[in-house]
This record gives sequence, structure tokens and C-alpha cells, in this order.
Amino acid sequence: MSRKLTPYLLVAPLIVFIACFTYIPIFTSLDLSFREWDFLSAGRPWVGLDNYRQLLVSHDFWNALRVTTLFVVISVPIRLVLALAAANFLLRETRSSRVLRAALFLPYVTSTVSIAVVFSWIFATDYGMANAVLQGLGLPKIGWLQDPTLALLVIVIVNTWKQLGYDVIIYIAGLQAVPPELYDAAAVDGGGRWHVFRRVTVPLVMPTTYFLLVISVIEAFQIFTIVDVMTRGGPAGATNMLVSELYKIGFSLFDIGQGSALAVLLFLLLVVLALVKSRLIGRKVHYEA
Amino acid sequence: MQSNLIHRAAGAAVLLLTTTLSAQADVTVEFWHSFGKKQGEALNSIIEKFEAANPGIKIDAEHVGNYEEIVTQLQAAIPAGRAPDAVIMEVTRYGLFAERGILTDLTAYMDADPLKENLYPFAQEIGLYKGKNYIVPFNSSTPVTYVNRDLFARAGYAELPPLTTFAEVSKAAQTIQSKLGDEGVFGIAAPGQFTRWGLVMGNGSELIDRSTNEVLLDSQKTIDAYQWMSSLVHEQKVASADGVTDEDAGSDAFLAGKVGIIFNSTGNFGGNFKALGDKLGVLPMPCNNGCAVPIGGAGIGILDAADQEVKDAAYKFVSFAANPESNAAWFAATGYMPINRLAGEQPAAIEAMANQPGIDVAIKQLDVAFGRARPPVVTWMRSSEYDLWQAMALGQREVPAVMTDFAARTRAEATRLSN
Repeated sequence: MSRKLTPYLLVAPLIVFIACFTYIPIFTSLDLSFREWDFLSAGRPWVGLDNYRQLLVSHDFWNALRVTTLFVVISVPIRLVLALAAANFLLRETRSSRVLRAALFLPYVTSTVSIAVVFSWIFATDYGMANAVLQGLGLPKIGWLQDPTLALLVIVIVNTWKQLGYDVIIYIAGLQAVPPELYDAAAVDGGGRWHVFRRVTVPLVMPTTYFLLVISVIEAFQIFTIVDVMTRGGPAGATNMLVSELYKIGFSLFDIGQGSALAVLLFLLLVVLALVKSRLIGRKVHYEA
Repeated sequence: MQSNLIHRAAGAAVLLLTTTLSAQADVTVEFWHSFGKKQGEALNSIIEKFEAANPGIKIDAEHVGNYEEIVTQLQAAIPAGRAPDAVIMEVTRYGLFAERGILTDLTAYMDADPLKENLYPFAQEIGLYKGKNYIVPFNSSTPVTYVNRDLFARAGYAELPPLTTFAEVSKAAQTIQSKLGDEGVFGIAAPGQFTRWGLVMGNGSELIDRSTNEVLLDSQKTIDAYQWMSSLVHEQKVASADGVTDEDAGSDAFLAGKVGIIFNSTGNFGGNFKALGDKLGVLPMPCNNGCAVPIGGAGIGILDAADQEVKDAAYKFVSFAANPESNAAWFAATGYMPINRLAGEQPAAIEAMANQPGIDVAIKQLDVAFGRARPPVVTWMRSSEYDLWQAMALGQREVPAVMTDFAARTRAEATRLSN
């Protein structure tokens, strides 16, 4: 009897932890998405699909979905390409590459708020360092955080800078797993460096690429801190991501029902995307050399 | 021997009883506020004096963030059962909390407190919601016009020009900008949200009617005021766009001596005076279309969920913080207006008036100062306004269209909240 119980007892703490901090919040959020509540009222009347209906006719929701999608489409490929290139460059075990790896990884473990504050100083139009450099070169000032297109680009730059180190480390691990004899064989066959990279390296790190793709898409859809500190979704909604909109609806506009509905939609969107990625790319990923 | 033992036992019993009673008398009031830096130091000094005068009460004060952040955190803390006992609430944002029964009705406390008679009428009025007292004013303010005298002099002004109409303000800002723009100086800072409301009132309008709660966001005078404010950034180009996307940027630049004119709360006087000293000039807000300024700042509310004993202790603190001595010290340290009629007679206030020229401008504006409407929709309206202001000030959307749409949405939200 006790032997049968032991495994359950061993996993019980983890199950309780996951239930408390993952499943209960998910189901509470799902329940709240069908109710009207402002956090303050005692009652939480059932409103059915009203919150979803209001969300789907809201200009701000569609704008946030458009901006977030644009952000994902721009930032994820940039991250992956830069990370693979950097990992390939830093693969050799030399002192300088170890220093560079550490330097690249530092932003990942630095406080996101601090990074966002410093970058908002750098990109300030009239008092920022970026424009000081441009003016020093005789070029005009640019409204980095005031121009809707550039503001999104700045968010992409800052997020890439912050996350790149993690992607590079994962890619380096992936590259180190590639058998060296394959490179030797390719060299014997007379393949140039670019040819070897395209035909050998890229296919063999596909499992790593696929993993990073899944992770970075999820992260990009959930970006919040950098946006909140640097632009608060502005100018005029140009960097207003889905999670920023969720926060605004729930915590600034006091509509936790509609905020929860947005959270549920975001969750479903990520599930669908994961399935699509699995169908389109997952099957092409080979886990053995 | 036996008698010695009895004495010892009796002594121990008395000690135990005394300790227990003293422990029972100790009340801790958790208090959330929004004051950092110089203002935080001034508040801590008031708290220390209160605790010295009331040994049984401890004020556990925590700087939670700005007014908006306090509302957000409070909103999350209430259902979690982690709300404080007392909280600073901005004067237009507490209506929703009063409406939902979160704040204690302080009317009975106020009626029994001699403090009530000593409060200025404006201070009495801003604590009232639907005829009942829900907050006791603490840091009251009006916006004022701060100028950097040095920049005006370097721009060729022998003395400060009149800054009464929008046209006069624009002209002065343009002069400063044209003379000193090459040094990275701006004529004016983009107005922050509190002063945007003030400039709308100075143009003879309102965002929400003070007596009827009618939404006036699309009235012509409100639109005209927004049109002028946004033109400072994207047409006249005398205000930095940085101050539009980050409202603190304008204030920081003024403190650094890089801005000629800024509209800001009188509560910023202390910081501005410390940074600029004699270069600082303080003028009333513009009266472009009649004179009117909003009364801003915040008061302290007590949460209804607190125990009665804690509520009593919290009110004792609230009353202490508004007494003449505390209020005078607070005024002298920060520039927030006195709310207590007797504060002006206190040495701290007399000394501040004598040594800090301009600290009294907000007080002189009181004849034209008004409490603003505070129906529940105000919290929503103020949160939504930032994005729209950015769109207008950066020239991305036309002011009339934005304000008309904003008015319609605010009316719809007001209807939703009233259901």
C-alpha cells in the first residue's frame, strides 16, 4: 500500500504548486471572462459572451493584435538569424569568445525595467544619446519614440538586445552537438563555407531552431515590461501589444471581465500557433544527424 | 520566604497583565501613499511626530507609486484581502471607491472633529462625494505657471512678460526658443494631464461639468484648448515631443534649466525651488477665457474593511496630518496649499512665505479654484486620455475628431458604470 502511495506523495507537492499557480488562475480567468466585474463590487454577474463580443468590435483590440503580430513577425526572425550567426562566430573555445558570450548573455539576466529605462533615455528625441550622435554627424534628429513606425522598431531593437544572449547560448549548445566528421566530409567534397553552413549546419540545428522559434513566439506575444516602461503602448497605440491592452482594460479601465476574455483569446491564439508550427515545421525537424 | 514568593508571583502577574494590556493598545495602521523624495521626507516627519504623540499607534507607511499606480494596486489588493487600512486617493479618482463601498464614510468622524471648522471651504468640498465625507484632504494643489527667469532674461526680456492668454504664452515660448534653441532650450514643456485639465478650465470650459456631471470633452472651448496645447508640440514646435510620451521628461528638463515655461502643480514648488533657487518665477495659470483652475492633490481615505479600532487610529492620524502644525510644515516643505485656515499663522508657514517667493501663488488663485467632477467614469476617462493626447500632440490625429469620439466613448462608459 505504502509502496503504491509513495510516487503520488512524491509528486504531490509539484501538483499542488502547479494547480495553485497555473490551473486555478487559468480556470478563474476563464470563469471571469464570462462575468462583469471591476475588482471592487461584491457581485460578479454572469454576462455570457458579452465580454468577447465587446472585445471583437473594439478598435483597440484589433489594433493591439495587429501591432503584436507585426512585432512577432519582425522580431522573431531577426532574433533567430542574429543568434545563429553569433553562435556560429562564437563556437570556438577561445578566451575572447568566452568573454563575448558572457557579454551577450548579460542583458538576459539584467532587470528588464532597468534596460527599458536606459534605452528610453538613449532614444529620447531632444535629450537622448542616439540623436546626439546623429546631430554630431550633421544629421537631423529623429523622433524615435514619437514616430509610430520607429517606436515599434525601437521596441524590436531593445527586445532583441535583451533576449539575444539566451538564443545564442542555446544555439551554441545545438552547434556543439553537430558531429565534426560531417563538416570534414563536406570539406572533402569541396563545399565552400556558405555552402557547408546552409547544407550542413542549418539542417542539423533545426531542432534548436524549432525550440527557439516556439519559445520566442510565445515570449514575443507576451511582451509587456519593455513596452510599459518605454512607451506605455504609445505613441497613440502604435506599440500597444495584446498584454498591454489586457493590462489597460483590466487594471486602468476596471473591466476585469473583458481583460480576462482577452487573456483567454491570447491563450487560444498561442495554442493555435503552436499547433500550426508543429504541423508546418515540426515534421521537417530531424533529431538525429 | 513565603511572603517573598507571593510578592514575586504578584509582581510577575502585574507585569504580565501590563504587557498584555500594552500589546492590546498597540494598533498598526497600514498606510499607502504617493510621496517620494522631498515630499516623502516631509511626510515621514509628520508620521514621526504623530507616533511620538500617540505611543499606542504605529503608522506603517509605504510609498506605493503615483496616484494612478495606487488605484491599480488597490484594485488588485482588495479582492486579495491585502488592502491597506488608509490610503492616499487623488481627488477625482476616489468616487468609484466611495460608490462601491470600499471607503469608510467619514462624515461622523468629521462632524465630531474641531478640524472641520478650520478647513478652508475648498478643502471641505473636495472630500465630499454625494454629500458624504470619504477623504480628508492632505495635499491640495492648483496648477501654476513656473518660469525660468534666467532663460527669459537671456532671451531678451528685461522683466517677465504677461502670460495671461494662450497667445502671450505662445509668444514668450517662441521668443525663448528662437533665441536659445541652439543650446537645446525649449520655450515651454508639453502640459501634463493635470495642467491640461487646468488649461481647459482657463479657456472657460471643463472636461466634465462640475455640477451636472455632463461630459464636456467635445464642447468647442475644450477642443480649442486641446488644439492650442497640441499645437505647442507639433505646429509651433516650442515644446519637446519627449514630454508628450513621458510626462516627467518636461518636468526634468525644467529642473535642468532647459525649459522656459512649465505648467505644473504647486506641489512641485519645493523641488523646483531647490533646483532653480532665485531663477524660479511663479505666476498664476493663464486666464484665456475667464479664470478658473482645478483643485488637485489628494486626501486620505480609510478602508471600510479595516477593524473599528484601526479605523479610529487611522482617523486620529488623518486628523493630525491636517492640523495647523502638520499642515504648515507640509506646506513649507512641499509647496502644497494649506488646507487648514490656522496653518498660515504657524512659524513654519510664515518663514516659508518670507523666504520662498512664489510659494503663495497657488493660495492667491484660490478665488478661482474649483473642485472637479468626480463621478466613477473619471478614472476611466483619465486613463484613456493619455493615448488620445499623444495622438493629438504628435499631430497624428485631428483634435476635433479625437475629442468628439472621446466624448462619445466617455458617455457610453458613464452609462455602463452607472448600471
